[in-house]
Amino acid sequence: MSEALVVSNIILWLVVLALLVAVLALTRQIGILYERVAPMGALMLDQGPKVGEPAPQFSLDTLAGGSIVVGGPGRSRSQLLFFLSPTCPVCKKLLPVLKSISASERQWLDLVFASDGDRPEHVEFYRKAGLGDFPYLLSTALGMAFKVGRLPYAVLIGEDGRVRAKGLVNSREQLESLFAAKELGVASVQEFIDQRT
Amino acid sequence: MRDLAAYLAAFVADPVVTRALGAALSVVLFAGAWQKLRDRELFQAALDNYRLLPDALLRPAAILLPAWEIAAGALLLSAQSRVAGAGLAAALLLVVTGAVAINLWRGRRDFDCGCGGLSSHVGEQTLSWGLVGRNVLLLAALALSLGEDNARLLVSIDYLSVAGATLALLGLYVSSNQLMANHPRLQALRNY
Repeated sequence: MSEALVVSNIILWLVVLALLVAVLALTRQIGILYERVAPMGALMLDQGPKVGEPAPQFSLDTLAGGSIVVGGPGRSRSQLLFFLSPTCPVCKKLLPVLKSISASERQWLDLVFASDGDRPEHVEFYRKAGLGDFPYLLSTALGMAFKVGRLPYAVLIGEDGRVRAKGLVNSREQLESLFAAKELGVASVQEFIDQRT
Repeated sequence: MRDLAAYLAAFVADPVVTRALGAALSVVLFAGAWQKLRDRELFQAALDNYRLLPDALLRPAAILLPAWEIAAGALLLSAQSRVAGAGLAAALLLVVTGAVAINLWRGRRDFDCGCGGLSSHVGEQTLSWGLVGRNVLLLAALALSLGEDNARLLVSIDYLSVAGATLALLGLYVSSNQLMANHPRLQALRNY
């Protein structure tokens, strides 16, 4: 009798744990689903101006008080638009990397930060993070035009005003892959590999 | 009625229950510490979002908090040091829950809690009263894990029960974190 109870106990535990794994997987999938169907969700990452298409042109005021033009034809230099938010930890972690990229690629690249929201919060962030050397834009329209869903997001605009590469960037490697994509003339490194095979 | 209360008290004091709770809490603490130490810069930026510490203290705090978690988790594992471990863990939970509550009162909630560990795979988990409730439950579990009654001798099947219950508790913990992280995304959809 007690042996039978032990066996049934083992079976029940196995079933309970297997069901828990299933519940976990389901809740995770529901989370991803919510994110994908949201109006500014990850599915949108593939939308907005495509690589190779002209980037929408904007003339915007910077936080420091000047004004710059984003996109548009007839530029002499490329632009790296970096979309961030003061509360995004990954963005903060990438700031030193961006500064060093901007210094080493000074000949041909301008680094531009972009965000939206309350001005005072951004002014404080701009000062604290030491971004004084770079233009910092506050514009909801800019993010909408490039369909920025998740942060940090980067867009590389070439001298001809066309989008050269873009995507979600979580690490130095992903940032550098944007430049690799530009040099190879493909939308992403993945596409380059696909073309080769 | 008094019988039922007595049964319930005996049940939560049973070694199987208290040990499963203690083991699950240890795993939660270790996993949190591991995640935070693996990417300290990221955790430091998450701490900065709380706007409670001056800049100079962010770096020490980003090391102290995971170290505190490891110490509490390790002490919880052994029967001799269980009380000390539970005290450390409770103090830590009160500190971090206080930080979350202060920011909720300030109206700042749209940033990742930086909880790490078993809630780090759920995507962004923003601040909410649900997070406070979760930590209160963890505190209750800590208290229960201390109330062990050694009257009963453990037999082999009890170890199966402890292992199963520990894994089940961890599974429930991760699932509820995921549901909490999903909630603001669902809210965003409803308001669209």
